[in-house]
Amino acid sequence: MSPRGQRRRTPRDELADETAYGDLYLRRLRRAQLGLSLLALVAFGGLVGSLPLLLALAPGLRHVDILHIPIAVWLVTVPVYPLFVAIAAAYRRRANALDESFRDLVRDE
Amino acid sequence: MIAIAAVALVTFGAIGLGGWGVRFARTTSDLYVASRAISPWWNAAAVSGEYLSAASFLGIAGLEMKLGVPALWQSIGFTAGYLALLLFVAAPLRRFGSYTIPDFAEGRLGSRRLRMLAVGAVVGIAGFYLIPQLKGAGIALQEVTGAPYWVGIALVGAIVVLNVALGGMRGITYVQAFQFWVKTFAIAVPAIVLLIHLGGLPDRATLFGDGLPRAPAGGVTITLDHYQRVTFPRAVSYEDGAIRGRAAAGESLVLAPGVVRLAAGAVIPVAAGTRVQTGNSWSRPVGSGGEASPVFIYSLLIATFLGTMGLPHILVRFYTNPDGTAARTTTVRVLGLLGVFYLFPAVYGALGRVMAPGLYLTGQTDTVVLRLPERAWPGVGGQVLGALVAAGAFAAFMSTSSGLLVSVAGTVSFDLWGRGRGRPSTAVRRRRFRISAVAGIIVPALIALGARSVDISILVGWAFALAASTFCPMFVLGIWWPRLTSRGAAAGMLAGGLLASSAIVIGLVVGASHLGGALDALLTQPAIVSVPVAFAAMIGVSLMSERPAGVAAHMLALHAPEGLGLGARVGAGEDGRGATLSAEPVTPT
Repeated sequence: MSPRGQRRRTPRDELADETAYGDLYLRRLRRAQLGLSLLALVAFGGLVGSLPLLLALAPGLRHVDILHIPIAVWLVTVPVYPLFVAIAAAYRRRANALDESFRDLVRDE
Repeated sequence: MIAIAAVALVTFGAIGLGGWGVRFARTTSDLYVASRAISPWWNAAAVSGEYLSAASFLGIAGLEMKLGVPALWQSIGFTAGYLALLLFVAAPLRRFGSYTIPDFAEGRLGSRRLRMLAVGAVVGIAGFYLIPQLKGAGIALQEVTGAPYWVGIALVGAIVVLNVALGGMRGITYVQAFQFWVKTFAIAVPAIVLLIHLGGLPDRATLFGDGLPRAPAGGVTITLDHYQRVTFPRAVSYEDGAIRGRAAAGESLVLAPGVVRLAAGAVIPVAAGTRVQTGNSWSRPVGSGGEASPVFIYSLLIATFLGTMGLPHILVRFYTNPDGTAARTTTVRVLGLLGVFYLFPAVYGALGRVMAPGLYLTGQTDTVVLRLPERAWPGVGGQVLGALVAAGAFAAFMSTSSGLLVSVAGTVSFDLWGRGRGRPSTAVRRRRFRISAVAGIIVPALIALGARSVDISILVGWAFALAASTFCPMFVLGIWWPRLTSRGAAAGMLAGGLLASSAIVIGLVVGASHLGGALDALLTQPAIVSVPVAFAAMIGVSLMSERPAGVAAHMLALHAPEGLGLGARVGAGEDGRGATLSAEPVTPT
């Protein structure tokens, strides 16, 4: 689909000149990154965002103890923090990989 | 005495590090964004150090003691904010390469008026955040040393302005990283040592069962310096100065200034405004009313989740990363560091309920972190731990105030002062930055001086609600939605900011707690309504206004990974690495 009859152009040229092709490349990257962010947001919302609702709807959790402390108290003090880091680290790896494949596209062809 | 020494040590440590950093502050870029060459670990510790304020160090534990376990949603929200920042803002914002938030607003949307609106929001948010820090410093120094209230404010104000004005951003970065470790050490070590000393959490009935807080062995002795109205949940004998009395269950009376004594095991009377709760109700993470209701908790989580990205002192620190990838790495590490810190405030609230219940009588639960060590472990051990938490509290006041002051001084000197008359020289800019820093601390310090007996804890919540309702939608839409226009952004920021502020003002005037239910929660923390309204206004007005031109270059600057010679300098065209790219034919697939 490259424009015929002209000098052959690289993706980098298309991006640098802000052509329609360049725009297409970049839009694809932006949408992929946004999709990844929204996926991570859904994971966060499902795991942490649902916690207040879960605790409100299942008051029985207060009567189950671990190490003499109700499980409901545990849930809001300790496990959420490692969970944040896990979601963040997974997101970072995927986001950097998306950037890297974009670099490959622009650099290598 | 030990406490004074510890506070002095932290203070002089900060001054010394700031002085060391001064040697680096040579150029304007050093002053504003530390020449963008701070490594992710330093930066993560600095971001966390800057972020952990009086609200985190003293406030959460105090609120937990007073309201119960629902207060811990604050720490979850304060941390979660960095996840939102990571997912939607960190890397693109760094790649776009602006100095300040107003700089981004104008750079992305090309409107000078929008920039001024952003300046107003920055100054408002930073001011709301700064006043409670200074007040906290005044009260904490009074608690620890008995000095007058103004001494702490003057001390912290002077040190902070000295550090900021002399070192700028680069010096401050090392100070902030140092303060993070001071704070984490100062909150973690006493908590762990006290838990070991007490052999775990004492008195489960008071914490999780049907018990009420009772005077521990040896009784409770409190010196009141003013008349205090209290309610007795159970019939109890008490001594108030020379008076020996017996109050009936449910009786409310006014105690005179002087020494109040309660025998061991007596159920503690509580100050007016504090709710009597059994351990059962205290330990319920989600309750039915007020600040334990699901509506309030979700609104708080939204404000903190989305508001963190709009805090000016946090964002300016993301510009000091070398590139977008480093900005992501920094944010992940911030989440880890904050997660370690926030494990500990909960311990103080719980131990305070059992070991320092006298604070329920005076209503000063927000000093529990400072008071707990000596109550739980009388003697030298408690004194040493008390000195440690006092030093940590001072680190909290100083680091957050420094960060806020850098952002205010940067915004005022860079955005407001003498624009449009060419580029001023480095010397002129530096002088403006320093004058702005001095002015930026004097005004909040004067307000804090006047607010000695006013409850201003709502200001931090207000700052988060404002940030979430103004800057969050501007960043998220500005970065991810090319169609956003400057008119749309202005409309959304105004709608969100005015709605959030008027809700809080109405709540203050009417007295939200009398209304009860969902309305009470919404007037105290309106983000759950004001943030969607701000997003809707931005999108709606943008769609009604003309399609913006020249967005492609902005999107390239925001989203193109570094190392390609693209991005911000694409308009200039010339880049060394560009020439090395091969000229193979390409077919977009």
